[in-house]
Amino acid sequence: MNQIQIGRLLSATTRQLVVGCQVSQIDLPAIGSLVRINPQVDYAIYGLVYDLYIADDGLVRQLATVGEMDEKVIADHRLNRSVPIEIRVLSVGYKMAGQIYHLLPPKPPLGLEILWLCSDEEIVEFTNSGRYGYLRHILREQDVAVEEVLAAHIKLADNAHRQKGEADWSHKAVQEVIVLLRDDYAALTRVLQSLADSQIFS
Amino acid sequence: MIEKKRTDETNEFVSQDVRKIGYIVGGGLQENLKARLIVSASQVQEGSFVMIPSGNWVYYGLVTNIQLGATDPRFADEESELRLPSDLASWLHGQTLYTNLEILPVLMLERGPAPETAEYQTWAQEIEDRSRSEPHLMPVKTIPPHHADVYLAGEGEIAEIFGKPTREENFVLGYTREGEHPVCLDLDRFVQRSAGIFGATGSGKSFLTRIILAGLIQRNRASLLVFDMHNEYGFDDIASDSGSKVSGLRTLFQTRVRVVGLGAGNTIRGAAPDFNLEIAMKDICAVDIELLSAELNLKETTSTTLEALVSSFGVENWYNEFREMENGAMMETEDGKKVPAPQSVAAWANRAGVNVMAAEGLHSKMSPLFHRNYILENPASDSINEIVTMLQQGQHVVLSFGDYDRDLDYLFVTNLLTRRIREVWEAQTNQYRTKKSNEPRPLVIVVEEAHKLLNRQMASQTTFNTIAREMRKYYVTLLIVDQRPSQIYDEVMSQLGTRISGWLGDDDDIRAVLAGLAGRETLRGMLTHLQPKEEVLLLGWGVPMPIPIRSRRYDQRFWEDLKEGKAGLQSEKQTISDLGF
Repeated sequence: MNQIQIGRLLSATTRQLVVGCQVSQIDLPAIGSLVRINPQVDYAIYGLVYDLYIADDGLVRQLATVGEMDEKVIADHRLNRSVPIEIRVLSVGYKMAGQIYHLLPPKPPLGLEILWLCSDEEIVEFTNSGRYGYLRHILREQDVAVEEVLAAHIKLADNAHRQKGEADWSHKAVQEVIVLLRDDYAALTRVLQSLADSQIFS
Repeated sequence: MIEKKRTDETNEFVSQDVRKIGYIVGGGLQENLKARLIVSASQVQEGSFVMIPSGNWVYYGLVTNIQLGATDPRFADEESELRLPSDLASWLHGQTLYTNLEILPVLMLERGPAPETAEYQTWAQEIEDRSRSEPHLMPVKTIPPHHADVYLAGEGEIAEIFGKPTREENFVLGYTREGEHPVCLDLDRFVQRSAGIFGATGSGKSFLTRIILAGLIQRNRASLLVFDMHNEYGFDDIASDSGSKVSGLRTLFQTRVRVVGLGAGNTIRGAAPDFNLEIAMKDICAVDIELLSAELNLKETTSTTLEALVSSFGVENWYNEFREMENGAMMETEDGKKVPAPQSVAAWANRAGVNVMAAEGLHSKMSPLFHRNYILENPASDSINEIVTMLQQGQHVVLSFGDYDRDLDYLFVTNLLTRRIREVWEAQTNQYRTKKSNEPRPLVIVVEEAHKLLNRQMASQTTFNTIAREMRKYYVTLLIVDQRPSQIYDEVMSQLGTRISGWLGDDDDIRAVLAGLAGRETLRGMLTHLQPKEEVLLLGWGVPMPIPIRSRRYDQRFWEDLKEGKAGLQSEKQTISDLGF
């Protein structure tokens, strides 16, 4: 399997992970991507990228006041900044002893664990496991742009499933989302609108 | 026997999956069961017959309401298909918009544990040993659990409940509305209690009555006496709406049906009846006159006057004597004083000690009867007796009133004839019970415009009321045909076993038809939503459970079906035998 490393863990709870990465790595993950941390050999934690945060490192304020700026200065600031770019991840499940669970991980990973981007095979394996239970971890978040994350994830996952010849995965996933949100008109409407904008569906 | 039954049921279950329409989501015995529909609402109609197998029981019920719902009303309000891609909109609607059924649970049947299990073997053995009663239909006493599957009943279930059309006593009255499955009426049960056919004008009452009468005649379940006020049933007629020819019972069944015309020389739609009914004056009783109080506008003194007449001239002669009297005839005495002539009403009144004005008033008001030419002092034959004999021998009589189409004639003749029938059948039944003589032939008296005879004022006076209440034990029942059931006396309505109703518009009429039935509030909606023509609701004792049906058409095909039926037409030989030759 071609492993793509994204960054290292900065902080974690059982529900959320914060990972720091360099600018050179920032092109890799997108919102909605399925990522993984392997704290132990037989233990993997899965998460969905829900936010990317570029913090102010002190120098950028001074640079922003300069009128004309050399391209080399901008490149140097981006590549050699002292504060990493933060990738925020929602924990959506874990794998232990070869079995995938759509539950919160029993314990969070420790600092500086490596965050890996999941391959299409892993996406299919994780999302086909169980009955879409991991979606509830996304839907219950208050401070997350749930509809955007969900639409991005379904689009990415749909693409992975289509590569494997499973054209109706997204149909079932959306059905599950509708079931989970049908008592919340406003939230469901926002999610469906985002899915409509993602142009997955006809 | 049990094994076979189980096999039949197993076969039924194979076909059930294709007819599954939903699952139970709530409800109860009082407020009906609620089921979530999983097929298009167009596949189910109000009145659809459904079954719910669950555990050891199969429940049978009727769809009484179809209700649209939404998890949030805003999903229903918003036309999301305009904002979302069609796939998304469709999935959204599939999960947030739904249709619920209300089901009136009516019957339940024990089917035992699952076959091939030890519990089933034990259950079957207990039935074989008679330590457990044979499974039979019973009124629903419990309910299926949540998520029990609901199936649209098929032909097999309809036959299980309403009887197989191949059986002699079962007569196909119509078909289920959504499945076109035949629905039978058990004619033996039908004739055991009085019944009613109701419906607004033009709803097809007369055609439905013809169909039932044809079934009773063809299957030879009872003798029929039809009081044909509008001359519809005997000879051929023309349908008022389509203009097509409608065969009369006399045409269809020939010698098994006799058409009797009221009065000598009376023709029915231009055709001569088989014979005429003439009433002998001696057969007229005082009560026959009293029940005409409303028609003749009689006063309270009538009873006293009639009693005096009977007392003066005897039961057999009072009518003729009174008729011969001259009303107002006077004579002059030798001293020039005017006094009532000896043959006058006043002279008799004075002799009998009756109020003269009351007697003269009664004579005057009975004048329409005195001039009826079907009332004779000495008729050529005892035609009432002839009719009674025919009915006893298994023939059927249609009494057509011809030109005598006034309520006066209808009330007078029907009551007089029915009174005689009651006497004869009571006597015959008593003989049968005490001396084991021949069992009386069941008789159904068909009464059109029944509210004229059985309204609140008249019911207590006419023989029909007694028949409706008591004559079931004496093998005589009524078949009431009426468009205003609310005008019929409650006590009579409550005695009706089987009720067959077409569309009714009036709330009071609907209430009257459903009086005394379980779930009447639920059935009310079903009755109001019937098609104005050819759809009827079967209710009451004669059917295991209420069901709306599309009635058969009284046409050539119906007649051909009858001829091809298992029972077949009675042969001429059988007819001659029935007549006693």
